[in-house]
Amino acid sequence: MLIFIARRLLFALALLFAVSAFTYVIFAALPSDPAALTCGKNCRPEVIATNRVRLGYDKPIVVQYGQFLNGIFKGRSYGVSEGVHCPAPSLGYSFRKHQCVTDLITRSLPVTASVALGAFVLWMLIGVGLGTMAALKRGRWPDRLATGFSVVGISLPTFFVGLLAIMVFVIWTGLLPFPRYEGITSNPAKWFMSLILPWFTLAIVSASSYVRLTRNGILEVMNEEFVRLGLAKGLRRRTLIIKYVMRAALLPIVTIAGLDFAALLGGAVITESVFNLPGMGKLSIMAVNDSDLPILVATTLVAAVFIVIANAFVDILYGFLDPRVRLN
Amino acid sequence: MKSRKVIIGALLVGAFFVSACGSSGSGGSGSGESSGGRSGTDEGIKDGGTLFILDHSTGATNLDPQRIYTGADLGFLGSTITRTLTSYTPVAGKAGTQLLADLATDTGTPSEDVKTWSFTLRDGVTFEDGAAIVCADIRYGVSRTFASEMTGDEGPLYATTMLAVEGEYPGPYTATADQQAAYEKAVECSEDGKTITFHLKNPVADFNYTVALLAFAPVPKASDTADKYTLKPVSSGPFMIKSYEEGKELIMVRNPNWSADSDPVRKPHVDEIHWQFGLDESVIDERMIADAGDDQATIVYGGLQPENLQTVFDDAKFADRRTDGFDGFVSYTMINIKKVPCLEVRQAFWLALDREALRTAGGGPFTGEFADSFINPLLATDYTPGTVTEGVNADGTPNVEAAQAKMDAAKEACPEVHKHATEEGLRFDHGQSELWAKLISIWIDSLGAVGIKIIDNAIEPSKYYATINKDPGDLMRAGWAADWNNASTVVPELFTKEGGFNYSQNWEDPAYPAFSDKVNLAKAEVDRSKQATLWQELNQYVLDQAWAVPGSFTKAQNLVGSRVRNAYPWLPFGWYNVGAIGLAE
Repeated sequence: MLIFIARRLLFALALLFAVSAFTYVIFAALPSDPAALTCGKNCRPEVIATNRVRLGYDKPIVVQYGQFLNGIFKGRSYGVSEGVHCPAPSLGYSFRKHQCVTDLITRSLPVTASVALGAFVLWMLIGVGLGTMAALKRGRWPDRLATGFSVVGISLPTFFVGLLAIMVFVIWTGLLPFPRYEGITSNPAKWFMSLILPWFTLAIVSASSYVRLTRNGILEVMNEEFVRLGLAKGLRRRTLIIKYVMRAALLPIVTIAGLDFAALLGGAVITESVFNLPGMGKLSIMAVNDSDLPILVATTLVAAVFIVIANAFVDILYGFLDPRVRLN
Repeated sequence: MKSRKVIIGALLVGAFFVSACGSSGSGGSGSGESSGGRSGTDEGIKDGGTLFILDHSTGATNLDPQRIYTGADLGFLGSTITRTLTSYTPVAGKAGTQLLADLATDTGTPSEDVKTWSFTLRDGVTFEDGAAIVCADIRYGVSRTFASEMTGDEGPLYATTMLAVEGEYPGPYTATADQQAAYEKAVECSEDGKTITFHLKNPVADFNYTVALLAFAPVPKASDTADKYTLKPVSSGPFMIKSYEEGKELIMVRNPNWSADSDPVRKPHVDEIHWQFGLDESVIDERMIADAGDDQATIVYGGLQPENLQTVFDDAKFADRRTDGFDGFVSYTMINIKKVPCLEVRQAFWLALDREALRTAGGGPFTGEFADSFINPLLATDYTPGTVTEGVNADGTPNVEAAQAKMDAAKEACPEVHKHATEEGLRFDHGQSELWAKLISIWIDSLGAVGIKIIDNAIEPSKYYATINKDPGDLMRAGWAADWNNASTVVPELFTKEGGFNYSQNWEDPAYPAFSDKVNLAKAEVDRSKQATLWQELNQYVLDQAWAVPGSFTKAQNLVGSRVRNAYPWLPFGWYNVGAIGLAE
């Protein structure tokens, strides 16, 4: 088992290295000139040239990538006299935001994690709960209700649900204040209040597909021979469903949920934008709007890291759950 | 001044909101101006409380005084955290353009030839840490303008073009001892540190207005963090920055070391200002219209969305909360004289352009009035209606017949340019936006009616200036407002080779030398009325040569919360005097 885990971790590391190189090269190869973006409206060619050197964009792309990697482990300085220094792990410096990219990421990540965690719990409860109910009451009104919710939820875009929630709960009825993010450590009550609407918005949209997945999974397992055998042997239906059916049906759902959660940690772009949450998604959008390449590279990399980690975690988990995976 | 609302990608923005200008002449909503009713007065103000500012942008464009060049930012930050040697009278209307001594004891003492200006600092002026503001702080602040690689030349460059610094000066970060000495010779401090003297290359009769720009604000050298200074500038005003998080919020609190006795300009009322970023524009409008809770103590950075203008301006209940007026800008199209050296083609371009269709597509009369000058009417001393090319319709509709006649004449007078315009096509540079995706088809169609072919070149807004600086097209869209109440910040800036924003390359035109000589005369003219006449003549000269085509005098509409008071449009900056805003109970 240890060899299996080590192999998976090594593979994840190699993948991360490949992703970082690929991401860096892709963004560096874009036609836009990052040095030109450091200049204002009066921008003169000599200023752009100076800043190109300062940013290190005058060097071959391999050297640039090397400097980038070096910055992650050793930190990096920009310019000579002005003393802009980003300590390790440095993911670059944004001359648009006048800040080290790592600082921006460090500030944004807890916001996204807060959104992702709460929404994840909600959507799993709603999705799996409704899906289970639909499967157990197949063909009856609870099934139709859950399936209807699923269809509506999948059809509604996140931004629409978000804006509707703001209109209804904040502007029209005044039941909730407009979400303004506060850190959980500085004010837990405000933190909670600021995230209620984003959590439910994300949960409603995401739970819809989980209703379907759960319902179909349970129905599929319930048709298995071991279930009929269990019933024939006199197992209580409740015990059979909880101990055997759910366990088998939820395994693939847990896997998908893990990957979905990891993807969300890379930034819930639309939800964060609608509710003005300064998370990874918002940071990415700002970077796209400003063509801020250092931030774009970093946010893409961080998102990729979460996916790779989640993949490795799921692989290892599968190894535990299904020994055949280990042998392969 | 440049704009933060980069709707055409490149607007140089600024000032002079409105109230004095007339109607659009189109009738109905948006045809007149509104100064905000009760919200523009101090009725019922109770000191204290928090003022909220909602902003769609992800953060402040800049907080570093040497990098600030948007009209609204200059007024906002100038009224709250950054003081300058001179400033403007904090009142509504044209009286607000009156210069006032700020950090200095008076509005400056010029030498007879107006090539040297001295200012003496008041007693008791301090930074937020209580340290006295001395001449060296102002001299150091101004020197930062020269550090182009740090500032990216984002702020106004008057210091670099006006000061008589011998040789190259790269700014304080990389200057050699000799270079620094040369700079300090041009900007002298008296031994007691109370008087600063600026030595200028050329006579500048209104240099005391120049120093009202935040680029001339003090910066304590010990606190300068270069590129990062923009995140936490040291305050000299009644507020100071408590926290700033890009994409989220900037919080200003009162500066305990600011003294009202030493400041004749600022009269703050609120305790805190919370500037919230990154909000959806439609949500902002909905919140302002609903006017609930904290939104009653809120103003908006940026105007109302076009789809909400009728709602707000057709309903009397908003009368005390809405403003509608000219923002001081003139939108225009520069014509590259190097590529289009033919007056007839340039005039045909003007005659054929369907300005009315463009205005309608942009939102109708709310967007502004057709301009007949590059000098905004709000610069009342310098403005006079310009005489546009004969045949240009006042209602903005195209005069195809007259345009065609000009093109026919061009075919004889300058066949190569005619061929370039009709066969190869004129490259039209403009900022990329949803609006421009609609407008460009009007340009192509209306100019196509007389055979002028337009090649659309939409440029990402953040790269607009860098692009047209490097590779100017045949036509370039821009906008401009005066940096202060004098056309000396319009005509020379836009149309002389030394100006910061001349993309027309008109120095290639044989008509240019006479123009340039006259500009130099005007700049040195100390008699203000004579100077105004010269600016008017020079403006007409540009119109006659069709080096550029004026578009419109643009307007802006805003809505404030019902408890907001003193939110009057401050003419020099095109936005509210934010530092003076108070809240009613």
